[in-house]
Amino acid sequence: MEQSAGKMASGTTDPAPEAPAKLELRNISKWFGPEGEGVHAVDDCSIEVKKGEFIVVVGPSGCGKSTLMTVGAGLEEPTHGEVLVDGKPAGPPGPTRSVVFQKFALFPSETVEQNIKFGLQMTGVSAAEQEARLAEQLKIMGLEQFRKSYPSELSGGMQQRVAIARALVMQPEILLMDEPFGALDAQTRTILQEEVQRLHREKHYTVLFITHSVEEAVYLGDRVVVMTRRPGRIKRVIELPRDVAWKTGDIELASEHPEFIEFRREIWGLVREEIVSI
Amino acid sequence: MDQSRTLQVAAGLGAVLAWIVIWAWLTRPGGPVPTLYFPAPDDVWAKFVRMWQRPYIGSTLPNHILASLYIVLTGWGLAALVGIPLGIAMAWWKRLKWIVFPTFQLIRPVPPLAWIPLTILWLGIGDSARISVVFIAALVPWLMNSMLAVYSIDRLLLDAAKTLGANDRQILTRVVCRTALPTLVAAARMALGSAWSTLVAAEILAATAGLGYVAVNASQLLDTDVLLVAMFMIGILGIGMTGLIGLTQNWLAPWSVLGARRD
Repeated sequence: MEQSAGKMASGTTDPAPEAPAKLELRNISKWFGPEGEGVHAVDDCSIEVKKGEFIVVVGPSGCGKSTLMTVGAGLEEPTHGEVLVDGKPAGPPGPTRSVVFQKFALFPSETVEQNIKFGLQMTGVSAAEQEARLAEQLKIMGLEQFRKSYPSELSGGMQQRVAIARALVMQPEILLMDEPFGALDAQTRTILQEEVQRLHREKHYTVLFITHSVEEAVYLGDRVVVMTRRPGRIKRVIELPRDVAWKTGDIELASEHPEFIEFRREIWGLVREEIVSI
Repeated sequence: MDQSRTLQVAAGLGAVLAWIVIWAWLTRPGGPVPTLYFPAPDDVWAKFVRMWQRPYIGSTLPNHILASLYIVLTGWGLAALVGIPLGIAMAWWKRLKWIVFPTFQLIRPVPPLAWIPLTILWLGIGDSARISVVFIAALVPWLMNSMLAVYSIDRLLLDAAKTLGANDRQILTRVVCRTALPTLVAAARMALGSAWSTLVAAEILAATAGLGYVAVNASQLLDTDVLLVAMFMIGILGIGMTGLIGLTQNWLAPWSVLGARRD
C-alpha cells in the first residue's frame, strides 16, 4: 500500500520541463541516530515547490513532516537526498528560505521592531531600507502599536504575527512554515489563515507549509502532500483548484462549499488510514 | 496587586519589629537572658553609634565596612571577568569545555575556605590573600551559571537566527549573550552570596580590618554588643547588595521582569 503510494507521488510531482522548481526536496531520507538503528523520521520524500506555489504537507503527528521542513530550511542535513533551490544545492540556512516556526522563536530580549529588523541587520541592509521595510511589515501585520513591546508582553497570535513579519521582511524567495498556527487558539488561527491566504494571493509567495490540520491544507494549499506515519513517506499528492472563489474568501464560507467538503473528506480519509492502521 | 504588596511589606516589618520586642523583653534588666551573652537592643544601638564615630580595633565602623566591601567587590568582580566569558565560551565551544572543565571539576569540590591556608602561605594576611579566596568562591557560581545560561537558551532561537542570515559570531553576540542576561543576573546574585559568606570567614582567619575581623575580636574580648553590630552589618550589607543586583536586572534585561499581558 505504502510502496504504491510512493510511486503515485513521484508521478504527480514531475517538474515542469521548462524551469527547475523553486525549491526541491529530492529523495530525502532522515535518520536521527545511526542509520538502521536510530529513529527513521523521513524515508525517500521528494517534493517540488514551483515559483509562486503554496504546497501544504499534511500527515499524522510524528510522521516526520516537521523534519522535512528543518531539512528543507537547511537546519538539518538529510541522511540521503538533497535540497535544491532553483536546481542548485541549497547550502546552509539563510534568508532566501525564511522560516516561521510553530513556537514563534522570537528573541525574548528584543522588541517587536528589533525582532523584525534582526535579519536585515544580519545581512547588512542599509538603515534607511531597514526602516522602510519595517514600516511596511508593521502595517501589513497590524503591529504598529506594538513596535516597542517585548514578545513576552504579546499574546500568542500577536507573537506569530511578529514572526511572520520577521520572515517576510527578508523578502524571501521561499517561505517555510512549520505548523505556524498550531499553538494558537481557534479564532486567532482562523484570522491568520485568512491573512496568509490573502498574502499569498497578493504577493505570490512560494510556500512550503506544514500542518496536521486537513481544513488548513484544503483552504491554503495549491497542492496537498499527504504523508504516511513514521517513517514518513509521501502517500499521495492532491491537486486543488487554485483560482476558485471559495479559496479567496473567508475560511468559514469556504468550509461550507461542496468542493471543499469533498477534498476535506478525501484528504482526511488518507490521513485517517495512517492514524488508525497499525 | 498593589494592596497585597503593601500588606506583604507591612507583615514583614511587623514580624521584624516583633522579634525586636521579644529580644528586648528577654534581655530586660533581671530578665531570663544575661546581657553578657546577649545584650539588649538599646545597648547594641548605642554601640553601633559609638563605633560609627570612634575606632574599634584600629578603624571606625565605616572603615571596617569599606575594607570588607573592597575585598568582596574586587574578588567578585575579578571572578566575573574570568567566569562569564569562560563559562559562555565553554558552553559555546565544546572543545574548550573538554579541555577546561575536568580541571575545574577537580578544583570545584575544594571549599573556598580550604584555600585560606595556602593563600596565607603564598600571600600573607594582606588584601590579596582575601581577594584570592573570595575570587575562588565567586568564580564557581559565575562560571557554572554562565555555562547554564547558554545551555538554557532555546535551540530554536539559534535556528531562527541562522535562517535570518546570522553567522556564528552574530548569533553568539546578539542572540546568546543577550538572551543569557537574566540568568547572568541570577549568577551575579549567587556569586555575591558565595563571595560574601567566604569573605567573613577569610577575615576571621586573616585580616587587619573588616567586619569579620571585628566579629572574631569582639568574640574573644567578650564584646557581645560589638559582635552583634558586626553581624547586623554583615546581614544588612548582604541585603543591600542583593537589592542592587535586582535593580540592575530591570536595567539590563527589562524584558525578563515583565508580566505577560494578554489581549
